[in-house]
Amino acid sequence: MNWTRESVLSEVREVIELHSDDGKRIEERTELVADLGIDSLGVMEVVAELEDRFGLHISDADLREVVTLGDVADAVFAKLERDGRARRSTEEAR
Amino acid sequence: MTFRTIARALEDAAQSTRNGFRFLDEATTAEPFFSFGGVERATALFGGGLQAFGLKKGDRVALILPDNQDFVFAFLGAIRAGLVPVPIYPPAGLRKLGGYLESTLHIVLRSGAKVLVTDSEIKPLLGTVQARARELRAIVSVEALRRSQEPLREVAVDLEDTAFLQFTSGSTSAPKGVVVSHANVAHNVHAFMKLGIRIEDGVDSGVSWLPLYHDMGLIGFVLGPLYHRNTVTFLPPFAFLKRPVRWLEAISRHRATISFGPNFAYALCCKRIKDAELAGLDLSSWRVAGCGAEPIRAGNLEDFSARFAQAGFDRRAFMPSYGMAEATLAIAFGEVGQGFRVDTIDAERLESDGVAEPAREGLDAWRRRAIVSCGSAFPDHEVAVFPPDDESSATPLPERRVGELRVRGPSVTSGYHDEPGLNAATFAGGWLKTGDLGYLAGGEVYICGRSKELIIVNGRNYYPQDLEWEASGVEGVRKGNVIAFGTRKPLNDRERVVVVFETPLGEGPSRDALKAEVQKAVRQGTGLSIDDVVGVELGVLPKTSSGKLKRAETRELYERGQLFIRSSARQGGSVDTVTEMARSQLGYLRDAIRGDRPKE
Repeated sequence: MNWTRESVLSEVREVIELHSDDGKRIEERTELVADLGIDSLGVMEVVAELEDRFGLHISDADLREVVTLGDVADAVFAKLERDGRARRSTEEAR
Repeated sequence: MTFRTIARALEDAAQSTRNGFRFLDEATTAEPFFSFGGVERATALFGGGLQAFGLKKGDRVALILPDNQDFVFAFLGAIRAGLVPVPIYPPAGLRKLGGYLESTLHIVLRSGAKVLVTDSEIKPLLGTVQARARELRAIVSVEALRRSQEPLREVAVDLEDTAFLQFTSGSTSAPKGVVVSHANVAHNVHAFMKLGIRIEDGVDSGVSWLPLYHDMGLIGFVLGPLYHRNTVTFLPPFAFLKRPVRWLEAISRHRATISFGPNFAYALCCKRIKDAELAGLDLSSWRVAGCGAEPIRAGNLEDFSARFAQAGFDRRAFMPSYGMAEATLAIAFGEVGQGFRVDTIDAERLESDGVAEPAREGLDAWRRRAIVSCGSAFPDHEVAVFPPDDESSATPLPERRVGELRVRGPSVTSGYHDEPGLNAATFAGGWLKTGDLGYLAGGEVYICGRSKELIIVNGRNYYPQDLEWEASGVEGVRKGNVIAFGTRKPLNDRERVVVVFETPLGEGPSRDALKAEVQKAVRQGTGLSIDDVVGVELGVLPKTSSGKLKRAETRELYERGQLFIRSSARQGGSVDTVTEMARSQLGYLRDAIRGDRPKE
């Protein structure tokens, strides 16, 4: 599968929505811990699920300075891109 | 019994080529193993590398090393070099760094560390620490130390010398460094390994995912096994938190006999491990499943026993324990091979009279309270109960009377590093004041809660955890996101009980109905009527940077009428951040899990 930033974002959003039983719209700037109240063990569940869905390994160092939904999507996208499994859309590549 | 320094214990263990430390990697299947002889050689190089910075005996070296192998080598290397290591927890993911850096700076300044060892990924984050800590000569990357070829110069170290500083939490103060001497370690290791676990030297083996910057991982699984030459398999905390089955797989694969975890770890296994993952697990070798570091819930241990019996887990392996960094690690252990024991008491008598009276047969369910025994104090160590205001520890309370638990014995620290005021307040007549409330029955220790958080209504004592537990079970309440406290505001006439919970339901009739449900659940569960039930949006309750709820700050916000502001919009003062970081020494791993409040 060839991921784009948008498809990564939507997949990440889906996983986070599953773990935040909130029902609220989660925006790129939504903070997982402060805004959604996902506790740190909940975050670990999210990480395990992201690994399964994207076929990636995510380390604790990958999560440093990652705060918002957009940050998570960026971190996942960067890893996929390094593996040659993602491409920047024409618009973003400008 | 001859007591040895840590360095001496390592040199003695180095004869062993069969036993040692194994380090599991988080990302790969690599399992590098170092015999104790290998550990001896590696730590000599790390120690020599540290001495090359011109450090003298007793100088402090801060360690921020998330990798278990690096941590063990640097920690033991520093000790062999006559230096005093100061473990600091690494930055956790998904948090802003500000609070972390404040806390780290505080520890570096207060310990007077001359060198800080970290890895090359964390090092660039510590610029402000280096700039503001004037005594800190260098931040050294562990990659450079690994390549060190400097020979270790021998330093004469005495049993009474300081071995390391264990920075720990206080509920009202910034992190403070417990001074742990070699004698403290030697006595405590003898007590918990020999008298507690009845360790078979060189035969028993352990598995641990516990963070090594915390006493349970460091003393329990690095130092204890070193003194008794037991093989230990370490896995990174992150690996366990992400996939809890990794813990049990490691026990199964390496036929481990000893492993410990806080209460939440056992609950997490029940919640996260899937049935399909149970196949192939064999836990029959596990003879001591220790539990400590936070309040123990009988229900969680029951659930674990029931779920993992099919994988060969023997419930008699459970061993509850009680301890604190100020007592090196542990002060009381359950009886090996006996499982956990529960004392069911009359909650009414506990709350109104501070008496732990066994519940009569036929007593209503809401009046019955189950408390897990933490076992009895080690020989040569004492745990006693005193009225909290007994400043000279003159009159211990009789059995089954609730008071402050105080401890003394050869494992107890001489005090905190460079904290004269605090040290005066921490000891009472030669006893260390733990701040824990509890009682003794049949010589065994039972913990009820923390003294500072007790809610007192009409002369009766309520533990906030119990109220929160009841409220958390109501559907619509965000599980685990409940805080209960007492306040004398706004009228200063009497203590009012407030329960605040997070809910996805917006303001309106449905939230009002939920408040009534919470009121009812707490009344049914504890017999207490709440004065004010507050439902707030998700994310409003203040949390530590590791995600733990902050009870004291919630009360302050409530008293100032600021509870409805979203937490991300509130400004946190840096002092406050340091305090709150301090309260979560176990950091991200000991956080609230659903419905289970950790000890604050």
